Amino acid sequence: MPEIVVKGVQKTLAGLLTLREINLVAADRTVVGILGPSGCGKSTLFNIISGLMMPDKGSVSIGGRDVTGQTGLVSYMHQKDLLLPSLNVLDNVSIPLVLKGTSRKAARAEAAKHLQTFGLQGFASYYPWQLSGGMKQRAAMLRTYLFSSDIWLLDEPFASLDAITKRKMHTWLTGVLEQFRPTVLFITHDVDEALYLCDKVYVLSECPTVVKLELSIPFSRPRQNRTILDQAYGAARDAVMDALSI
Amino acid sequence: MRKKFVTIANSAVPLVFVGLLLVLWECLVRVMAVQEWLLPGPVRILETLCGNLPMLLKHAQSTLLECLAGFVIAILFSFILSFFMEEIPLLKRAFYPLLVASQTVPIISVAPLFIIWFGYGMLPKVIVVVLVCFFPIALSLLGGLAAVDREYLELFRSMKAGRLATFRMVKLPLALPSFFSGLKISASYSVMGAVIGEWLGAKQGLGIYMTLAQRSFQVDRVFAAILVVTLCSAALFALVSLLERLIIPWNQKTKWREL
Ligand SMILES: Nc1ncnc2c1ncn2[C@@H]1O[C@H](COP(=O)(O)OP(=O)(O)OP(=O)(O)O)[C@@H](O)[C@H]1O
Ligand SMILES: [Mg+2]
Repeated sequence: MPEIVVKGVQKTLAGLLTLREINLVAADRTVVGILGPSGCGKSTLFNIISGLMMPDKGSVSIGGRDVTGQTGLVSYMHQKDLLLPSLNVLDNVSIPLVLKGTSRKAARAEAAKHLQTFGLQGFASYYPWQLSGGMKQRAAMLRTYLFSSDIWLLDEPFASLDAITKRKMHTWLTGVLEQFRPTVLFITHDVDEALYLCDKVYVLSECPTVVKLELSIPFSRPRQNRTILDQAYGAARDAVMDALSI
Repeated sequence: MRKKFVTIANSAVPLVFVGLLLVLWECLVRVMAVQEWLLPGPVRILETLCGNLPMLLKHAQSTLLECLAGFVIAILFSFILSFFMEEIPLLKRAFYPLLVASQTVPIISVAPLFIIWFGYGMLPKVIVVVLVCFFPIALSLLGGLAAVDREYLELFRSMKAGRLATFRMVKLPLALPSFFSGLKISASYSVMGAVIGEWLGAKQGLGIYMTLAQRSFQVDRVFAAILVVTLCSAALFALVSLLERLIIPWNQKTKWREL
């Protein structure tokens, strides 16, 4: 039951109150979007949830257990792809398995099984500098998946991609989420991306940050049609835009 | 096709230039009838080189041996020291300033001490080579380790990686390009170090060969030795470059994909 609950998290960074009070809940197997102005502390929040950073106040719990400050429980995909330039795609994505003690050979074999799903078949022996931006993101995503299939924290995974590639990645990600059904927290700056992929969206305020809006997305995943025609879409979009004061 | 031609032409230009300089040198020496013990012409130097080749090779062998031994020891020391300095911050704070300060002592000025302490054998030369090479290697390795993007380290921490695994999988590979640039610098330093060590007294080696030739005003021999020293330096540099290509083929900073 990987339900994530963030309760009353506060964090001061370099003498500046960054997160004032963050409360959020990601129910089991749902995709939760997090939107907010740049520099409001979204990545900081992920650092806290992943256990890399301790909050000054508040707690993080997963499946009802307090896990504040514990690493290794969630799979964290950073804003950058962070593929190691020294390893090829296959070795890069099998890192989490090797770290868990699987032999290199077995890890490679296991990782190779998933290349197809992540659109990397035939590129196993390529080095990161030989990949396109989309491929790098998919490789990083596969590495994220191989660390833990339960809970993913995705920090702006598609921010660096062009609109067309991004769109393709959305369709692809919808399929992957459908297949693995993880609990996902998803940071993005793109309102339409959030509405397209998420079951629930949180909008954060400027620093010192609080939750400004919590909005359940009424239309259900997966959304096959390219344009969302649901009546509720416009209203949801307006609400998010208002909260972001765009 | 065209590109290939341009590459060949590019490398030909400096060669032709050097060739012209040599011809000019030879002409000047002949026209002005310069004394041979003052400045021999390139032809004479080449003759001496060929005539003394077996002898020169024997000397070059000991010099190269000292270089390689010193070089390898310096690399080993650098790795060990860098590992501990990187993993134990206190050690870094204690040793780093000392490391930099130690470089203000000119190695040449302490080399005579080694002769006094360790005699005329290979050991004092190897020590000089180690001292000369160690600093650029250690500094480039430490610099490379310190420059590793912190986000990689955080990623590995979020995956619960141990310190040793993180060092082996992230820090070390990412520091290698910087390490190799230091290694290339010290490759040429190492030959210099060995030769200087030999100047002060040795049983064998290009340095002592030069000193002896110079004392008897056999300038052509000095030049021949200089030529061999240069070749040794170049060979060592080429060896390091080759190793770099083999060990970090992924470091494509200078190349671009399929251009
Ligand atoms: N390690 C740190 N030490 C001190 N201040 C930090 C640290 N990390 C981030 N900050 C500050 O905290 C604030 C929030 O940073 P954070 O990276 O969480 O923003 P963000 O919401 O992810 O922004 P973006 O959308 O641009 O990625 C920023 O003002 C930043 O300067
Ligand atoms: Mg961020």
